[in-house]
Amino acid sequence: MSSLSTNQPTPSRFSRLWNSNMGYSFRRNPVAIVSLAIFLIIAIASTLAPVLAPFDPYDPAQIDIMNSEYPPMWVDGADPQFFLGTDDQGRDLWSTILYGTRLSLLIGLCAVALQAFLGISIGLVAGYVGGRIDSLLMRLADIQLSFSTLMVAIIFLAVTQAMFGSETFNQYAIYFLIAVIGVAEWPQYARTVRATVLAEKKKEYIDSARVLGFGPIRIMVRHILPNSLSPIFVISTVQVANAIISEASLSFLGLGMPPSQPSLGSLISSGFDYIFSGSWWITAIPGVVLVVLVLVINLLGDWMRDVLNPKLYKG
Amino acid sequence: MKFFASTLAVATLSATLGTAALAEVTVKVAYDADPVSLDPHEQLSGGTLQLSHMVFDPLVRWTQDLQFEPRLAESWEQIDETTMRFKLRDGVTFHSGNALTAKDVDWTFDRLKQSPDFKGIFASFTDVEVVDDLTFDLKTSEPYPLVLHTATYIFPMDSAFYTGTTEDGKDKSELVKHGDSFASRNLSGTGPFTVTEREQGVKVVFDRFDGYWDTASEGNVDNIILTPIKEDPTRVAALLAGDVDFIAPVPPTDLKRVEEHDGTTLITMPGTRIITFQLNQDRVEAFKDARVRQAIDFAVNNAGIVDRIMRGFGTVGAQASPAGYLGHDPALAPRYDLEKAKALMAEAGYADGFTVTMMAPNNRYVNDDKIAQAVASMLSKINIKVDLQTMPKAQYWPKFDERAADMMMIGWHSDTEDSANFHQFLTHCPDAETGNGQYNSGNYCNPEADALMAQANAETDQAKRAELLSKLEGILYNEAAFIPLHWQNLAWGAREGVHAEKIVNALNFPYFGDLVVE
Repeated sequence: MSSLSTNQPTPSRFSRLWNSNMGYSFRRNPVAIVSLAIFLIIAIASTLAPVLAPFDPYDPAQIDIMNSEYPPMWVDGADPQFFLGTDDQGRDLWSTILYGTRLSLLIGLCAVALQAFLGISIGLVAGYVGGRIDSLLMRLADIQLSFSTLMVAIIFLAVTQAMFGSETFNQYAIYFLIAVIGVAEWPQYARTVRATVLAEKKKEYIDSARVLGFGPIRIMVRHILPNSLSPIFVISTVQVANAIISEASLSFLGLGMPPSQPSLGSLISSGFDYIFSGSWWITAIPGVVLVVLVLVINLLGDWMRDVLNPKLYKG
Repeated sequence: MKFFASTLAVATLSATLGTAALAEVTVKVAYDADPVSLDPHEQLSGGTLQLSHMVFDPLVRWTQDLQFEPRLAESWEQIDETTMRFKLRDGVTFHSGNALTAKDVDWTFDRLKQSPDFKGIFASFTDVEVVDDLTFDLKTSEPYPLVLHTATYIFPMDSAFYTGTTEDGKDKSELVKHGDSFASRNLSGTGPFTVTEREQGVKVVFDRFDGYWDTASEGNVDNIILTPIKEDPTRVAALLAGDVDFIAPVPPTDLKRVEEHDGTTLITMPGTRIITFQLNQDRVEAFKDARVRQAIDFAVNNAGIVDRIMRGFGTVGAQASPAGYLGHDPALAPRYDLEKAKALMAEAGYADGFTVTMMAPNNRYVNDDKIAQAVASMLSKINIKVDLQTMPKAQYWPKFDERAADMMMIGWHSDTEDSANFHQFLTHCPDAETGNGQYNSGNYCNPEADALMAQANAETDQAKRAELLSKLEGILYNEAAFIPLHWQNLAWGAREGVHAEKIVNALNFPYFGDLVVE
């Protein structure tokens, strides 16, 4: 009998993932492959911005107004120094986009992490404890949902800007953005998590855990949460895309990153004055980057939803 | 809702009647910002004066070729060296129905003398003496060469209307800066239009005043709807789409589009408004050193700003007075030399630089926020790190009055079309009593320069005045009292058929009362 158990090495984490259902479906889905590839390229390029970018757009000493509004390489009148041209202040667009994407991604991911933390905790408690606490928390979520995210964010940011003065605001703009986008969207998570918790907590393994004498926190975190992860993954991808868009919208409206530290949104906004008057690239190129980034994240989210949905599984 | 209904009714009416005589002529105007207050004495700014020319009338005004044109003053004569006698037009009534008399002029003059912003302009004037109902004497302390220039700023207010107390016990004539007062919300002037509706930052609706005295004016506009549109491309797009009939300013990037587009016309004029930065010596010790100020002047590439940001739609400046003004000294050349700037900083002991705060409006001057950003990055090259904030002018002016930043942007158009006015407001030793230096956020103070100005203002010989004033410009240039950038050109866009070219002028005070629309 023992001869049957060969000494196969335990498969590495990667190969386990690769050979799982998810890996299989991924290999069969060209859209997912391309999306992930593009996403990785953008993410890696923007993370390595300080290495890849020929200029530092945050260093005003490197900016010369005389370099302003050079078109991208393939347009007449370009300066070979600037691959994608320059913006209205003379910043190299390629470097600025790299840095800006890094900021946008960072804000998107951190904001979603904050949303997830808040939403999952509240959702677990509401679903598991139930009763009055559940009603209270879900009514709070209702109230929060009845305001649109952008409206909450605009009010919050406008008030903080007035309260702290724009000097302090500009310095900490990134944290304010993460906080406001994170706080404004927690009900998305809370709702979903609560629904799965309600379904899970009726199952026998929870009863047995309870009988074994585990405390509610341990049951929630160790038993229910791992079984509710798949919808959380799906929401997270969509929410990252949403957060990036929110950040871009707020920056476009002048409530986000300051013009001296442009994210994709503020870059699009600063070029907006020129879009009809020749210098289209200041808005168009970062706009394309933003659209592509959000699109691939959404496509990945779509694919993940299909894979993780048991009703569509192998369907 | 009621207003909406009536607009709708008017719109339908004009649509059905077509060009019939009954149709109301409504002109929609889009500016970058709307006036901050209805009180003509609260803020000495282009916006306030533009409003004043719509709802009030000055004693005299400038024509397009910079001659004086009688308005409420029918005629004037010099009685002695310090007295000018004005005769008022007969039969002029205010919007309230009260008749205009010399008493109103006297009352307005007294209020001007109390206005922190305007009193500086009237510093040389001592009194208005009422001779009879329609005659008064305007007196100066010394022979003053700019009496008529200054009279363009006297817009008689309805003294009866502004006298008394409001329901909550406040004085109606009260003048409050950036606050709530009767005069900031209510109006009664002699001008061609009355304000029927105003929502700050949203729109101002003007209605033609039925009892307007100037029946000879060809102006045929019944209603004006002024909407502030802060974003340049949106404002231009509104004009091109036909949503509005008249816009100002047209951003330099869109001049060609407005000019080439069928159905719109572009009107441009060389401007006399100097755009500057002031260096606050009270807030930053280093700015007390003339070498540091010169270094900043050397570090700022103002030719580059004009070339790139303004697209050549402005004149590079090295002094406040534009060419053609008495004090203009053609020998003063714009300074830009980065090496020299660094050397000066090192010489002053600031080779490692320092950090300053900077504030600029973002809807007051053409491309103001972009200019400020560019200046901020230019200064970083001499190791001055700039924390820049830009904001709409409604927030900017209160900040400016607080002197809230180390470097502040201000553009100035001479109120009297004369060089001395620049110095009086921007670089004169600040003095709340006289109103001198009211817009000198740099707190630059040089008694020698002030003495030159006083001397020039008492000098009626033009050649001698020119000499004094250009000497004054020379001192300010050598000491780098402020950082001059450029004189911005003026541009307006109008729908074809709106004869705006006849009502605009280099002062940027369009005379809407005379606007003819086909």
